Amino acid sequence: MRRWTDFFILIAVLAAMIVLFGLMRDSFFSMGTLGTVANRIPALALVATGMTLVMVTGGIDLSVGSLLGFCGAVTGVLMADLHWGLALAVLASVAVGAVIGSTTGAVSVKLRLPSFIVSLGMLEIARGLAFLTTNSQTKYIGADIEALGAPFGGLVISPAFVISLLVVAAGQVMLSQMAIGRHLIAIGANREAALVSGLSVDRPRIFAHALLGALTGLAAVFNCSRLGSADPNAGTGFELGAIAAVVVGGTSLMGGRGSVVKSFMGVLIIATLEAGLIQVGATEPVKRVVTGLVIVAAVLADTWRRK
Amino acid sequence: MKCLVPLLFASLALISCKPAGGPASAVATGKPKVALVMKSLANEFFQTMAEGAKKHQAAHAGDYELVVNGIKNETDLAEQVGLVDQMVSQGVQAIVIAPADSKALVTVLKRAKEAGVLVINIDNKLDADTLKQAGLSIPFVGPDNRAGAKAVGEVLAKKLKAGDEVAIIEGVTTAFNGQQRKAGFEDAMNAAGMKIVASQSGQWEMEKANGVAAGILAANPNVKALLCANDNMALGAAAAVQAAGKAGQVQIIGFDNIAALKPLLADGRVLATCDQHGDQLAVFGIEAALKILKDKTSPADQQTPVDVVVK
Repeated sequence: MRRWTDFFILIAVLAAMIVLFGLMRDSFFSMGTLGTVANRIPALALVATGMTLVMVTGGIDLSVGSLLGFCGAVTGVLMADLHWGLALAVLASVAVGAVIGSTTGAVSVKLRLPSFIVSLGMLEIARGLAFLTTNSQTKYIGADIEALGAPFGGLVISPAFVISLLVVAAGQVMLSQMAIGRHLIAIGANREAALVSGLSVDRPRIFAHALLGALTGLAAVFNCSRLGSADPNAGTGFELGAIAAVVVGGTSLMGGRGSVVKSFMGVLIIATLEAGLIQVGATEPVKRVVTGLVIVAAVLADTWRRK
Repeated sequence: MKCLVPLLFASLALISCKPAGGPASAVATGKPKVALVMKSLANEFFQTMAEGAKKHQAAHAGDYELVVNGIKNETDLAEQVGLVDQMVSQGVQAIVIAPADSKALVTVLKRAKEAGVLVINIDNKLDADTLKQAGLSIPFVGPDNRAGAKAVGEVLAKKLKAGDEVAIIEGVTTAFNGQQRKAGFEDAMNAAGMKIVASQSGQWEMEKANGVAAGILAANPNVKALLCANDNMALGAAAAVQAAGKAGQVQIIGFDNIAALKPLLADGRVLATCDQHGDQLAVFGIEAALKILKDKTSPADQQTPVDVVVK
């Protein structure tokens, strides 16, 4: 029952924001805004889905922003310089993401190091690799990749948006309906208890990191498709947006509790806030202060309700 | 964990000796030694600048020695201050610097000058008031960003009619060159009677600029042009125009003339950009330094060329 209350609160917050921005700026209620938000969220939604799976185990991955830059760099070089097709480039980007993600996971789990520290190291490594891959240059890809992020069939939504919705749905089913999901939550709730009851606590955690990496690889392609180019600086600070979305959605930083769909609501809230602040013409300092306040307020509300 | 600690120290030692890895001292060879201290070499713009300088040195190997250093992160002031100190203790004759901050570097540069090192300022101009307070005079060799932005803005103005709505996508608001470009855009737009309906920062980044551009287009349906303070942001703005279904209805201008912009200039999605000859910017500074060292002249500010690039 409480799951639904949580969910309605998130919807209420989102609705309140939309009304508020709508009152401040007439143009906010438009297909243009809807398109802008729908266009911007696929990458964040994919990474937030993966991040939820990592965070329910009590882990975290700070390297996703840099990894988004690196996978985008790989996509850019493959498509712009080596003229690979989109399908192969997607596979390569997802594979690179999965390899890096599972490396972070394996090093952290097998060597018993906090994932916070290992992924902080990977944040630097992946950004360095992004600059190396592109020789620090922005790669223009153009029409070959743009269709993925462009609205289709006269709608405001893009293929990337549809795919990200499917991934969110699949992530939710995995977390709440499948054995692996319950397994991840059990590890996050009480690792010793999970161990005593005979569950493997290593492999599922590495799997969660690998999946997050793969989803980040796909997100990188979506990001490039939206911009038509690959920027080796892409994704700087992106990890904070993803973690904020997951936490706003009520996933505990300590693990043991989380929901992919609620993380997606968190993504919608962050993206709407961002679009709204731009449209009302907020200055950079105001944007940062307001975004920070909303994140803290959302988590505070969540904590109070649980007491 | 135990094995990681020595590893950490080893890598620290490796990092710390990298900036000192220059060739033999200048005294031994008799050639002046010039240190180029850059911002982030991971940034395409500064990398191009550094490569231009290295090429120049290779062609004039008999005239001077060059040590090139950059910092990891554009905002890491402490690292750049440390670099300047190291260059001074290495005994270079001149430091050509692109300061990461126009005020915070003044103290260390004063130290360098007091140690007898010639200092030339490139790229980001040091704050005039701070220099005055420190009783310091450091020549600036570089382009006039405001004039460059104004010139690109004038090309745009010819495509619009008076009273049209336009919007500016600014760089990092604390950066002097970003402020200058914004001012140049405003000069051109005000002179032509355009209406600037929005001006927001895209933080020099493609992705951020894309979001800002999309928001501006949604909030101001009549916007006829987006004036972007660098080319990466122009790429992001071009994608936003396309996504909004306004291709061909909104003009875009940029600044820097990076390679990735070429296809967009060619098909008209971006109208014009400004080339400040990035590969020559450090070279201009080095040449000025060498000339002053050789002729013992007193240093003066020097302006380098900026050109408008269309199609």
